[in-house]
Amino acid sequence: MAKTLHGITLKGSAELVAEFFSFGINSILYQRGIYPAETFTRVTQYDMSLQLTTDPKLKNYLTNVVTQLKEWLFNCTVQKLVVVITCLETNEVLERWQFDIECDKTAKESSAPREKSMKAIQEEIRSVIRQITATVTFLPLLETACAFDLLIYTDKDLEIPAQWEESGPQLIDQSEEVRLRSFTTSIHKVNSMVAYKRTNAV
Amino acid sequence: MSDLEDDTTIFSTLKSFKSLMSLPDRSLQEAEPAYGRSDLQKLYTQRVEMEEAAERIRSHTSLLQLTREKQQMELSHKRARIELEKEANTSSRDLQRQVDQNQDLLTKIRRLEEKEEKANQALSEQVEKNKALKRSLEELHAQLSDKDNKLSEANQTISELKDEVRTLNQKLQIQESKFSTQNLENQALQEQLEMQRKKYQEAIQKHQSLQSTLLSNTESELKIKELKRRLALQEQDSIIVKNMKTEVAKLPELERDIKRLQDENLYLRENKENCSLLKEETEGLRKKLERMEKVVEEKLKLELEKEKVSQELQAWENIGQTTGLNIRKPEDLSREIIQIQQRELNLKQQNYTVTSNMRSVEKIRTQLQSEATELRSKALEEQKKRENQDTLVRRLQKRVLLLTKERDGMRAILESYDSELAATEYSPQLTRRVKEAEEMLQKVQAHNTEMEAQLFKAQEEAGTFKLQAQAVALELEALKEKLSSVSDSNPAAAEEELNSLRQKIEELESDRQRLEEQNNILEMRLERHNLQGDYDPVKTKVVHFRLNPTCVAKQQRSEEFEQLKTECERLRDRLRKMEAGGAVTTDDTTLIIPPSQEILDLRKQMESAELKNQRLKEVFQKKIQEFRTVCYVLTGYQIDITVENQYRLTSVYAEHMEDCLLFKASGTVGTGSMQLLETDFSRTLTELVDLHLFHQKSIPVFLSAVTLDLFSRQTVV
Repeated sequence: MAKTLHGITLKGSAELVAEFFSFGINSILYQRGIYPAETFTRVTQYDMSLQLTTDPKLKNYLTNVVTQLKEWLFNCTVQKLVVVITCLETNEVLERWQFDIECDKTAKESSAPREKSMKAIQEEIRSVIRQITATVTFLPLLETACAFDLLIYTDKDLEIPAQWEESGPQLIDQSEEVRLRSFTTSIHKVNSMVAYKRTNAV
Repeated sequence: MSDLEDDTTIFSTLKSFKSLMSLPDRSLQEAEPAYGRSDLQKLYTQRVEMEEAAERIRSHTSLLQLTREKQQMELSHKRARIELEKEANTSSRDLQRQVDQNQDLLTKIRRLEEKEEKANQALSEQVEKNKALKRSLEELHAQLSDKDNKLSEANQTISELKDEVRTLNQKLQIQESKFSTQNLENQALQEQLEMQRKKYQEAIQKHQSLQSTLLSNTESELKIKELKRRLALQEQDSIIVKNMKTEVAKLPELERDIKRLQDENLYLRENKENCSLLKEETEGLRKKLERMEKVVEEKLKLELEKEKVSQELQAWENIGQTTGLNIRKPEDLSREIIQIQQRELNLKQQNYTVTSNMRSVEKIRTQLQSEATELRSKALEEQKKRENQDTLVRRLQKRVLLLTKERDGMRAILESYDSELAATEYSPQLTRRVKEAEEMLQKVQAHNTEMEAQLFKAQEEAGTFKLQAQAVALELEALKEKLSSVSDSNPAAAEEELNSLRQKIEELESDRQRLEEQNNILEMRLERHNLQGDYDPVKTKVVHFRLNPTCVAKQQRSEEFEQLKTECERLRDRLRKMEAGGAVTTDDTTLIIPPSQEILDLRKQMESAELKNQRLKEVFQKKIQEFRTVCYVLTGYQIDITVENQYRLTSVYAEHMEDCLLFKASGTVGTGSMQLLETDFSRTLTELVDLHLFHQKSIPVFLSAVTLDLFSRQTVV
């Protein structure tokens, strides 16, 4: 960890945000039931108990994405991270969890750490994850078998590594959007929101 | 034995003869050398020889005879032997027969002996039985005696019993007497009983009568109750009537009150109508009031306006005074205004014409200016070209001079070298010097051309800059002229422009506000799209991992789908094969489910059943064929079933192939009643049909008559 006791560096901020995404994505997968609950195990993070997957293929995929995301966060070339939940039978997008990332590019030039306490950042992250858990109450049920995908919105001129490819934005038609809380490490600001397909119930 | 002896004698004689014969041979042989013998001797010898030959012949014949006799003897011997053998055989057979008979007799003897023994045994048994019987007889005798004793005892008992019977009879009589007395009593009692019954019936009748009276009592009581009730009701009614009377007494008063009330009602209704009318009037008056108030307000307003208007009028009248025009009435003002307007119009027209003229003039001027500039530029270009040409010419002249100089120099050198060559050999140095000089020359020439090119470029650039400067100067002059022309125009036009500019400003401000609103809306939309996940493709792009879970899940789904499809097709094929054929073929290597034992058993059963079926069919076919041929042969008719219920009979002796009789089964098939149908052949047999079918009503007779007829036709007896 390259964050000093009294401040956050760019690298430290990138690691914090990547760690948040890793746990956040796991929470979303657990809450929405994309993978069966018995494949998750309880861990403690940010002073609360969270669910983490034990499926080796899924773990491998997530570590690949998160390490690449960390690098891009460090270079401030990433704009959004989206968790897309698709129904396997109809190939329709049912939910989109979008996290907008605003990067303060001046931190790239100056290497001086910023003043923000870890406790405050953790508190903010905790509230975001709690809110994600709470949103499950009003989201429509995912009755059919679903699969998820992680999309990253980057700068147009970024060189894509070999294992990545371009894709469409996978938007939902007729969606309802709800804006959730955000947190900031003083270098990176993460806004979260969820969009779900409008059900035809009156 | 005599034969043998004969034989030996024959042989011994033969031997002696031979020996004899051989002696004379020797003697003959010894005698031959003695040639001195005479012919007599020869004759003697010949005779001797002939006698010997004769003897020989005789011996031969005797031999032959003997042999013949021997053979005969042998034959007779053989015959005798045969006969003897036959006799022996017969005797042996007799012997054997005798032996057999003997044996038979022996066996018979044995059997008889056995029978004797059995008979003896039976005898003994019989004797024993006899003895037993005798014993039994004795026993029976004993029993008899016992029974006799018992009988005597029984007789005694009988006598005793008879005594008892007599006593019993006496008792019986006594009993009978008692019984008769009892009967008498019984009769008396019965009479009493009857009396009692009669009384009982009377009692019953009385009881019934009592009950009827009771019923009538109860009915009468009910009636009494009803009557009492009616009474009570009537009393009530009477009370009511009394009340009614009192009330009726009140009637006229009520009528009076009613009338009064009705009058009041009418009065009140009229009042109500009046009230309503009054209310309407008040409402109308209120509305009028309101209107009047409004009118008053309007009047006030109008007065204010009137004052304003009057003030304005005064101002307008003052205007006339202030402006100095001859204005007293608004008509004058309007006239003045019209005049001013007309003047304005005229001035505007003039202005427009002037401006149009000016614009046309300006256009022409600009055109002329542009033409002038073009001409100037062309002239400059031409000048430049000319200068270029001059410079080129100068260059060329210089080159020519240089070249000539070089040539002269070269010539001089060459001449010098030629002149010197004859004396000394400086050729290599000279050639080197020449080369160096040539190189120097080339360099100098290249340098020269470069310098000339640079000069040329510089001159061109200078020329272009001059042109640009001139053009810019021209433009500047034009603009200055325009500005001056603009500033020289009328002040009215400037004011107009100012107004137009102000209007433009106002329009622009309104546009700006509209655009700001649009901007806000678009920003909101953008925000919404951003929330939904939209992005600007120019600045951002969306990437994702290649091996993402959605992709993997879709692949798995498609693979599952493919697998299920192939399995489905396999199962369908298998089903089709199972439906079409019975047994499972060995080509089914893709089978997943092994056939169970039940299915195998069932298949075997099915196969065996099918085999049975086939065999049965073959057997039936054979039997049917056999039966049909037998029928044909025996009855002389071939019976075919052409149509359901119709049978066609063709005779063996039919003259043509088509001759047939058709029979139809009438009624149910089991009853066997048939009818003959018309055919060509049956028409020829009408006599037979009449006789056998109509009169005799027998089809077999008819058929046999037909066969006989046909047969008689075919064969010639």
